[in-house]
Amino acid sequence: MSDRMTQSRGLLLALLLLAAVLVLAGPLFLDRFTMNVLTRSMIYAILALTVDLLWGFTGILTFGQSAFFGAGAYATAMVLTHLGGAPEHFVLAFVLAIAIPTLLAALVGWLSFHQGATPLYATVISLVVPIVMTQLIFAGGQSTGSSSGLVGYPTLALGAANHFRLAGVVLIGFGCLAWVFVRSDAGRMLVAIRDNEMRAAYLGLRVQLVRILLMTVLGGVAGFAGFLLANAARMVAPEIAGFVFGTQLVIWTALGGRGTLLGPVAGTLGIDWLGAKLSGELPFLWQLLIGAIFVVMILFLPRGLAGLVPRRRHQGTPPELVAIPTRRRADAVGPVLSVRGLGKSYGSLHVLESIDLEVHRGELVSLVGPNGAGKTTMMRCLSDGTEPISGSITVLGRDIGGLPPERIVRLGVGRKFQLASVFESLSVADCLRLARMSLDRPSLLRRSRRIGLPAPAIDILRLTGLDGMLNQRAGLLSHGQKQALELAMVVALEPELILLDEPTAGLTKAERAMIGGVLQRLSGELGHAVILIEHDLDFVRIVSQRIVVLHQGRMVMDGTVGEVVDSDLVRAIYSGAANA
Amino acid sequence: MVLVLDSLTTAAVLFIVSSGLFMIFGVLQIINFAHGAWLGLGAYATVVTTALGVSPWLALPLAFVVGGVLGGLTERLVVRPLYARPLDAILATWGLGIVIGQLITLAFGRDVQMIPVLMTGTVDVLGTAYSAYRLTAIAIALAIGLGFVLALERTRLGLTARAVIMNEALARALGINTARVRLATFMLGSAVAACAGVLLTPLTSVDPNMGVIWLIGCFMLVMVSGSSVRALALACIVFGTAQVAVGTYVSPILGGMTVAVLCALMLRLRPKGFAGV
Repeated sequence: MSDRMTQSRGLLLALLLLAAVLVLAGPLFLDRFTMNVLTRSMIYAILALTVDLLWGFTGILTFGQSAFFGAGAYATAMVLTHLGGAPEHFVLAFVLAIAIPTLLAALVGWLSFHQGATPLYATVISLVVPIVMTQLIFAGGQSTGSSSGLVGYPTLALGAANHFRLAGVVLIGFGCLAWVFVRSDAGRMLVAIRDNEMRAAYLGLRVQLVRILLMTVLGGVAGFAGFLLANAARMVAPEIAGFVFGTQLVIWTALGGRGTLLGPVAGTLGIDWLGAKLSGELPFLWQLLIGAIFVVMILFLPRGLAGLVPRRRHQGTPPELVAIPTRRRADAVGPVLSVRGLGKSYGSLHVLESIDLEVHRGELVSLVGPNGAGKTTMMRCLSDGTEPISGSITVLGRDIGGLPPERIVRLGVGRKFQLASVFESLSVADCLRLARMSLDRPSLLRRSRRIGLPAPAIDILRLTGLDGMLNQRAGLLSHGQKQALELAMVVALEPELILLDEPTAGLTKAERAMIGGVLQRLSGELGHAVILIEHDLDFVRIVSQRIVVLHQGRMVMDGTVGEVVDSDLVRAIYSGAANA
Repeated sequence: MVLVLDSLTTAAVLFIVSSGLFMIFGVLQIINFAHGAWLGLGAYATVVTTALGVSPWLALPLAFVVGGVLGGLTERLVVRPLYARPLDAILATWGLGIVIGQLITLAFGRDVQMIPVLMTGTVDVLGTAYSAYRLTAIAIALAIGLGFVLALERTRLGLTARAVIMNEALARALGINTARVRLATFMLGSAVAACAGVLLTPLTSVDPNMGVIWLIGCFMLVMVSGSSVRALALACIVFGTAQVAVGTYVSPILGGMTVAVLCALMLRLRPKGFAGV
């Protein structure tokens, strides 16, 4: 481990100790009012952290965390009001305060995240949930106290000082857990989903499931915070479950700095505490000020106050690339890919018509044809079973109709996009880790020091010099390097069938030759099946064994390199004469 | 009979209140969370006309002008840098809404305002006495809807707006000043929203944050309607009726959330909503 890393660890540990001391010793020197306010603020800060994990890290703008918080607080208050304050009732209240919001969050997650849902849809749902929750509370009559809330129920008899300590300890504990998680291998998935959902899905990551799980767990955390508040504040009111409180959480998170962990905590503590202090003297001006600062921040400082702190180059020694043995491929008989009568149309426009194709192990098939011939559309149909098509596509004997991309990747299909598609804000090493996550279960706690990759993926990295840039942010790579990185990521999936859409576009001649060599090795030596879209007929001639020619959505030729390249038909198509 | 009238008038009110948000989302694909503030502004225009002792109907042109000017400023200063960040645009406009709400509070106080109603009395509809104003709302909604359709299909601004909706890059390449179309749309949408705020005054209590209650319902209706006026009209009628039905037969409190819940479910089952119906 490098000195720098030890140093930053030491700094964090010191910070942690300081926080712990402040939280434990705070009641000794804080006045009663400040202590009560800060107890509440710290509970809110837990919520802000959940908002931040969802929005700042994963890109799901949510106004709904207040609903789960309210559900937890009301579950607690209702149990204690209606059943009484015996020890077993506190246990019951605690269990329900976590269980109900967890279940609710799972339901909301299922509703919000599904194949083809836009990010906006999750936001829409997150607006509806707190509204429903508030209306249910209003409609609850005696049991929920309706608009006046519940008050005067038995609470944990800790005293104000210990409530302060409890809230502080929970906040620090959850903050540490969140810190460990977002830095772990699994935690990189959140940022990957935020950066490039499509690439994540095409690496076999179950994007929607990850989001649902995250929302479920964080719903439970919000419920726990609700339990704390119901005990510390000794009252619950409908506002805490409402949409306006939900937006407030987002504002605190944004002002402190989304995508950081300290930012939202600092933002919440600072604003809630200042607000309580100042709102007595200038009630409306304070809100006005917060609103105005918020607008200005969103416009000019989207990263919040944390954006003022320069980003540390925190990465120490780069991880180590280790070649792992390639998986033994099941020696199943039959073709890797079999396409029967594939057709695809948009209304009356037929993009693909009655395509039949079989691709076997060890074959490198080039798909050529002029622009608009339907090549990329065909790739999309092969890798996304939810595309409406006619005919059938089977991969390794399995019909892929209706399967989402991540399932097809897990069947053994890797796809490289036409435009280089990587995770811009992650490092090269993290991009490669993500490529392996559908195969090697990632750790929730640790960040691995070694990245195990199949040999051909390492070859690509070596040949392009990317192996020396593992700590570089992927967004800063050159176009050619991004192409190579994406190719290495796809190869790291060890797919039976590799789909490559112009992998050499924008590369230099030397780089093309290098990629060509890798492709030949993948198909020839290692037995992968490869389908390659390529315009450069010289390149195609060198690397492929078979060429398929598409023209106006139909397959017009399927033959060996010699047959196709020298045919008059191909010349005619490329010179435009066959359009008539 | 009352139920039918209630449903129709509720649909009409929903349509009037949503129309400003709809214009802005339909053309700009931006969700204007300051919409609630525009409604509030409009309602307070009525407070001003009352204080001046003139007819409350004069609040309409006043709201139109104030809404338009503020809408223009908003587009210029807040929304324009955020077209590429639509989620951030939601947040920035929400922040703006807070600012406007607080400014109204500073100017007029936070209490509920008493305002003379625009129109009193009832009309006899097939043997049922019914509020004349709620019936007028139907006429106003029809007028706005017709105005939209005509504006989109018959005017030059409508044509360019449609071009921007379909393909902004191409529209710009053809020499359409898309920045001006956006500005005009945002101004008009804000002005219409402020007028809707005036029209709301007889139906709801007027306080600085009155718009927030309406915001979510409007937002959901616009979400299921996309860029189609007909879809918005249909959504208002269907969900307005559902709201009245739930409010009457189940519970008035649950009726208040009917629109939002049904819209959310509809988007889950049919992501395009009513667009294309």
